[in-house]
Amino acid sequence: MFDRDEDVLDRVIDQLRQPVEMDPTLDTAIMTRVAAGGDRVGRLAAVWEWAWRPREISVSPLAGLGLAAALVGIVVWLAGRNPRVGPPVAGPSTVQFVVVAPGAASVSLVGDFNDWDGAATPMHAARSGALWSVTVPLTPGRYRYAFLVNGSRWVADPAAPRVPDDFDAPSSVVTVGG
Amino acid sequence: MHASRWIATLPLAVGLLALHPTTAAAQDPRLERRLDSATLQSVSAVIDSARLQGLPVEALVQRALEGAAKHAAPAQIAAAVRRLAMELATARQALGPASSPAELDAAASALRAGVGPADLTRLRHRRAQSLTVALATLADLVASGVPPDSAAAAVIALAASAGDDQIADFRRAVERDIALGAPPAVAAAVRVDAALRQTPGTPRRP
Repeated sequence: MFDRDEDVLDRVIDQLRQPVEMDPTLDTAIMTRVAAGGDRVGRLAAVWEWAWRPREISVSPLAGLGLAAALVGIVVWLAGRNPRVGPPVAGPSTVQFVVVAPGAASVSLVGDFNDWDGAATPMHAARSGALWSVTVPLTPGRYRYAFLVNGSRWVADPAAPRVPDDFDAPSSVVTVGG
Repeated sequence: MHASRWIATLPLAVGLLALHPTTAAAQDPRLERRLDSATLQSVSAVIDSARLQGLPVEALVQRALEGAAKHAAPAQIAAAVRRLAMELATARQALGPASSPAELDAAASALRAGVGPADLTRLRHRRAQSLTVALATLADLVASGVPPDSAAAAVIALAASAGDDQIADFRRAVERDIALGAPPAVAAAVRVDAALRQTPGTPRRP
């Protein structure tokens, strides 16, 4: 078995000692490619290698604190250049209106916020049928309103202040701050 | 000085009362749909005049629509709108020309409740923030039975330092006390003292 391996080795050595036939244009082609971009590729590779090469940096505690403070200062300055928080703008608040109207077929919320239109804001009855409610968005201000029961009977909100009435029918008032 | 300011509102009030229906210019389409022609002309004249004076007109439109929804008589609707226009004019005179429509609306309610214009002016001088909630609280307290002078003194005392939420809490507490049987003036006095104690640095009630 040892003799067979030696034979194989000798044949490989003989094969390697044979002269290699080279393409006569190979040298020219290689030199052309090197002249075209070899330097640039080499520089980029060097920079890449430099950037990824780990190294030790010595920084004193005071200098470290200074760098950290500088970073924080830059972040704060950048945030201040384009503030996202403007002056507070009062948006609508959600207000729930509730009234007890047992046996009513329909109840509507009618007031300054819906042009006193009896069809604009129908209220919804709870399962028992006595408790009617609706939720509406209101911008800051003071609103007069009333409940319209069965399309004909005006009812003030017992849970809200009453307002002096100009029209012989009760009204309440709700104030939304802002 | 105050008397002269109130006298200054008289021409506007007289003008609003004396307006002839034919002076009406542009008419609000919401009113056109809901009012008969005579009422529409009368109401539009008041609204146009108020607009010329720089008063907020949406509250006037809403008052007319309220009257129409409640099937009020035409004369009743016109009178209600006219009265509100005068209250808004008086409110602006008391609070100053920079007042917001919401402030004027709330101030008109306070005037209707019986609060004097001088108290509105004191409130304006006392509070830097929006007066809407403070004025509404003032009107609501009087509607709950608190005498106007007591209500004004309480709200003015709170106005310098209390936020809108604190003023609204104060109103709710007073109304709760009244519902439980407390005399309205006493309820307001007790609650405002309690509120002032919770706000350090607040001057005592005048």
